Amino acid sequence: MEGTPTLDVRGLVKEFPGVKALKGVDFDVRAGEVHCLLGPNGAGKSTLIKCVSGVVEPTGGEIFLGGEPLPVGDPAASLARGVATIYQELDLVDELTVAQSVFLAHEPRRGPFLDLDKMSRETTALLTRLGHEGIAPRAKIGSLRPAAQQIVSIARALSHDVRLLIMDEPSAILDDGEIETLFEVVRRLTADGVAVVYITHRLDEIRRIGNRVTVLSDGRTAATGLPAGTPTDKLVELMVGRAVERLYPERPTGHGDVVLEVRGLRRLPEVRSVSLELRAGEVVGLGGLVGAGRTELLRLIYGLDQPDEGEVYVDGTRLPPDRADRAIEAGLGFAPEDRKSQGLLLDWSLTKNVSLADLGRFQRGLLNVRAERSAAEEHLRALQTVPDDPDRIVRELSGGNQQKVVLARWLLRRCRVLLLDEPTRGVDVATKAELYRVITDLAAEGLAVLVVSSELEELMGICTRILVMREGELVFEIEGSRATEQELLRYAVVPTDTEDFVEEVR
Amino acid sequence: MTAGESGAPAAAIKGAGAQRRLGGFALQEYALVIVVVLLFVAGAILKPDSFPTWDNVRNMLTQASVVGVLAMGMTFVIATSGIDLSVGSVLAAAGMFGGILVDPEGSTLVFIVGTLAFATLLGTVNAISISYGRVVPFIATLAMFSIARGIALLLNDKLPVSLLDLNGGSFGDPAAFSLLWFGTGRILGIPISVYVFLGITLGAWVLLNRTRYGRFVVAVGGNREAARIAGVPVRRTIFTVYVLMGVLVGVAAVLLCARLGSASPVSGNLYELDAIGAVVIGGTSLAGGRASIVGTFLGVLTFALIFSLMTQLDLSTEVQQVVKGAIVLGAVLLQRPEARL
Repeated sequence: MEGTPTLDVRGLVKEFPGVKALKGVDFDVRAGEVHCLLGPNGAGKSTLIKCVSGVVEPTGGEIFLGGEPLPVGDPAASLARGVATIYQELDLVDELTVAQSVFLAHEPRRGPFLDLDKMSRETTALLTRLGHEGIAPRAKIGSLRPAAQQIVSIARALSHDVRLLIMDEPSAILDDGEIETLFEVVRRLTADGVAVVYITHRLDEIRRIGNRVTVLSDGRTAATGLPAGTPTDKLVELMVGRAVERLYPERPTGHGDVVLEVRGLRRLPEVRSVSLELRAGEVVGLGGLVGAGRTELLRLIYGLDQPDEGEVYVDGTRLPPDRADRAIEAGLGFAPEDRKSQGLLLDWSLTKNVSLADLGRFQRGLLNVRAERSAAEEHLRALQTVPDDPDRIVRELSGGNQQKVVLARWLLRRCRVLLLDEPTRGVDVATKAELYRVITDLAAEGLAVLVVSSELEELMGICTRILVMREGELVFEIEGSRATEQELLRYAVVPTDTEDFVEEVR
Repeated sequence: MTAGESGAPAAAIKGAGAQRRLGGFALQEYALVIVVVLLFVAGAILKPDSFPTWDNVRNMLTQASVVGVLAMGMTFVIATSGIDLSVGSVLAAAGMFGGILVDPEGSTLVFIVGTLAFATLLGTVNAISISYGRVVPFIATLAMFSIARGIALLLNDKLPVSLLDLNGGSFGDPAAFSLLWFGTGRILGIPISVYVFLGITLGAWVLLNRTRYGRFVVAVGGNREAARIAGVPVRRTIFTVYVLMGVLVGVAAVLLCARLGSASPVSGNLYELDAIGAVVIGGTSLAGGRASIVGTFLGVLTFALIFSLMTQLDLSTEVQQVVKGAIVLGAVLLQRPEARL
């Protein structure tokens, strides 16, 4: 186990325009070990693994693979040296067969033709090595369960003669029985001397599969090389441990009338019968793990998807399902998780982005573009957007300021219920503090705000109430001032006694 | 579009995606103005006797007006990141439909109403299959390309319909409000069809830049999901764009038939390429999200000048076709770095 580590990362720095994602990360992975990588969303885990796999080129620092420097920013070089990554979102094509997927882009050939026999034979060999000879090489990916698809992904990694396997939240899409299957596969790999980097949000998994733990927090290594037996409390403290004075403004108390009421909303498999109420003047947090169904719930409330059943009421009036335009008329506003692909038109001016949801106000026969521009400017100023020149193109703004453009849109629209999905993702701490102030100010003015966030700390910092969602259901509610991270996490993660649970299922 | 604050330092405007504007006029539009001027100068030098004459300019504009009207509609279609390949065929079918309504006798009004109605109907079929049937615009309009051409040929057994004497029209001196008058008549020395083209250009500019609808059109093309989340009625917007395209094809059909004095089942061949080419040269992004009526207008003029020049230089239509295709390809290639962002 000792000797030259398989992976050695030293002082890794990565700056994106406006955000410093990694501020000096050190850690190492030995052959045959499972090294867990832990940290809140936005801590830099994804950036770190992308640097190692060559998708992202680091700004500074060094990466050694088996003692030799790894060429950076070159995915092919990383792959050739035995680094394979299995991403959270499986990047398989439903229509391809298992064998085709395993050998995608490096198909064995005989002369100019594909060697189909060899492809099939070697696929079977790889799956057997993983203990899953039951998966047919000719089966279509789309016909497999997510767990089996993941095994195929791993087989694909093995087909490249892997030395370091990076797994980004592999368990997020699996149920508990499937997770045990996955662990079995991981154990087989490490027995062969493969080094594994395992990213997870489920703290209980660390003890079950990990050898050592590294905790990332805000782009730095908060601790590295901890034994897997480190108490959960200690790990959580390390994850959250950053002390920022006055990061959070005064918490809104909000006891206005009920504005938004959700009754039995369901859309399987992500959302199972959710009911909640939102009062004017309060900020309600929606915590939980990635994949718990929080984004899907917001989309249902806002009318972007058709629910299986359930109703949404604003001021006691029922909203028609799957009609975002009617929801907006009723006073709802939505800032989606992915600002760039869902929130904004990146090549449009700030003005046009702000006014899009409320153009009718400026149209008296023709659009009054002067009034439009000055109204946009007014709201951008009020939110202290930088820059607040309404003619600038949104693409040129930083993430936090882009978020303010989205908020300005809904302020202009005078919306009364604001749904925010991960509003501070990818935003630096200083701008985060500004956004928190904006959100609480809005609540103080009488808006009802529902915030989805994977950063429990920020929910505890700004929310009147916090709801925890797990596997499509609300499982816990607590006042923001009384919430503790440990307790929220306890409800957010799937029951810890998984072994017993698996037995029960069987 | 409000002019940018002149105080903003030019260096602050960075990023290839930024739409650089000088006094509210995009860079590409400036470039096109220069191209148009250069082409005219080139024509004047190469053919000093025949090119820079009022007769030639008038002729050019008259011919450009048919494709020009199509290009205005196509700008809206492309702004939604769609495409309409059927405009040339629909133009022929609509003209033929109007033609058989007034054959052997009828009035100009019946012809115009019939032609507009039929083009609108076919445009609506496109609209329904694309917005509600969720067929990819390329395929839906490719199918209509074939369907409409078939209809055009079926309507009068592959034969053209003469519209020459509709309401007393005759070449040279058509009676006012005869069909031929719309194609060849003039007011203040300017052909009626040029007035129609300019009027539609103005209307299109206002619709795109000064109405909520125009903003919706570009938003849908720029980022459909973001537009939907902002409350834009995406499906309805796409639907109306293809209906509008149909109406304008009807107008173009009337202008063409009025100029030729007949409706032909083989007319309008490859007009879709001319229209798309003019739009793309004008800077409207094929990926959607950016559209310019002024650019399209200049694109139409550019095409008209190039072909007038080539005709006067006695280049065959075959050569012209090669050049036309090459220009469109070149324009799309030039757009590429932006589209890739």
